[in-house]
Amino acid sequence: MDGAFRRDEDGMDKLGPFRGGTSETWPPIRGDYHIGDPARGVAVLTLASRMIVEGAAICGPCVTENLGIEKVISNVISNSRIRFVLICGQESRGHLPGDAILALHRDGVDDQGRIVGARGAIPYIQNLPREAVARFQRQVELVDRIGLEDGESIERLVEELQGKAIPYPEPPFYVVSRRASRRPPAEGEGDVIFGGGVCLDSRGWLAQSEA
Amino acid sequence: MFRFSKDQQVMNIGGVRIGGQPGEYPTALAGTIFYHGQAMVEDPEKGIFDRLLAEDLIRRQSELSDETGNPSIIHIFARSIEAFSRYLDLVEACWDGPIIADSSEAETRARMVELLSEIGYADRAIYNSLGAATTPVEAEALLNGDLDSAILLAYNPVRSDPEGSLDLLESGGGLRGKGLIPFAREAGLVNLLIDPGVVPLGSGAGAALRFTVMAKARLGLPVGSGMHNAVSSWNWLKGRERTARRCCDAASVALQQLAGGDYLLYGPIERAETVFPVAAMADIMVAEAVQDFDIHPIGDHPIHRLI
Repeated sequence: MDGAFRRDEDGMDKLGPFRGGTSETWPPIRGDYHIGDPARGVAVLTLASRMIVEGAAICGPCVTENLGIEKVISNVISNSRIRFVLICGQESRGHLPGDAILALHRDGVDDQGRIVGARGAIPYIQNLPREAVARFQRQVELVDRIGLEDGESIERLVEELQGKAIPYPEPPFYVVSRRASRRPPAEGEGDVIFGGGVCLDSRGWLAQSEA
Repeated sequence: MFRFSKDQQVMNIGGVRIGGQPGEYPTALAGTIFYHGQAMVEDPEKGIFDRLLAEDLIRRQSELSDETGNPSIIHIFARSIEAFSRYLDLVEACWDGPIIADSSEAETRARMVELLSEIGYADRAIYNSLGAATTPVEAEALLNGDLDSAILLAYNPVRSDPEGSLDLLESGGGLRGKGLIPFAREAGLVNLLIDPGVVPLGSGAGAALRFTVMAKARLGLPVGSGMHNAVSSWNWLKGRERTARRCCDAASVALQQLAGGDYLLYGPIERAETVFPVAAMADIMVAEAVQDFDIHPIGDHPIHRLI
């Protein structure tokens, strides 16, 4: 799946698609997270730990160093009010998404989409345009508290950061999925046989009948 | 159903045969034990666990295997080599079939290869897994070790479609200097099990099913997966009742079988109770569907035991 992007131009709200602290369209990517007040300026990433942190715009786990991070970025940059991402909780073993998102913010990705300097197993950003990564780097500051699981301490930090969160001056940045291009199925040799003269070319995924 | 024009290889690992044409061999089922968060594991670093409970789980999977005809494998997940050693002590006492050695830590996986080679488990252990993320330490361990079998994880993070996965297997996909298959051969691995790597539902999980057909058609090697991972990451389902979650979990097994899958990493071994009947049913359906293709289910197939 290729990533594409569009900038919000509907004029509904220059900072996010919501008014009065509620939203029907944010976050754009579904996931295992808790939504607080979307008008707040802090997002909390709890990595492999399960906890709900009050006072944040959004709070949730992230256990993979590729698809998980892509979802986090998509949801953060589509809300210009979010200026801080607080990374806490226990690292996900082997995957190290906390390490990966810090590396991504610091050094970006190489030509193949690999997060430069990330130590996890498969740290690749495949479904986001470069512009989305750049926007993430500009819009938010990451606060590294990996290992911290004490709810009260985290909520105090959220309040401290909230006091410094001035909305980002550009409109939200939406990453949307682009449908895969429809290639006409190529005709080939039937290497999967159904019988009765019907076979499938597994490469072109084309079922055909000799009759 | 269908059959492949290419000859389908059958791997014999610790007495369990995996592969062949759809309908020929029953699907091998691997339940995971000592996984992260399993209640009976008291100390995952040292490998302290409730031995009686672990024995019960292994015995129950084995009983279901005997009853249905679907061969079983113990998928051991260990955080450290110390823990893995303790887990192997249990296996030694109550299981004589194949095991899958797995850890989230590359260093631990590498040491597993050394240990398994030393204690004479090379012919019944399956390394999980050789893939795009395999580190030089792991590669070295595999080259120096005696293991016969490995799962090749074909997930290509640069190109996640089935063609990209095949490219990783055959020529490295631009990520490794050598394809996973040529490297595995160089390391002396003779029993290769292909796994497309299953991403969450909504992120392209279905492609693993198409890949299964493509990989068997092109390579003739056994293919399987941990298809339940697509289900367990489905956020909508998390809010449903337990029965619905278990049904979807077991159904994912059947989907993989209908795509020609030869083995399944079905997740927590506690789910054997629901997975084995579904897998047996799907195997019977497939066997019936290819009867006129001159494909004969082997003697232990569920179609002979349960019908």
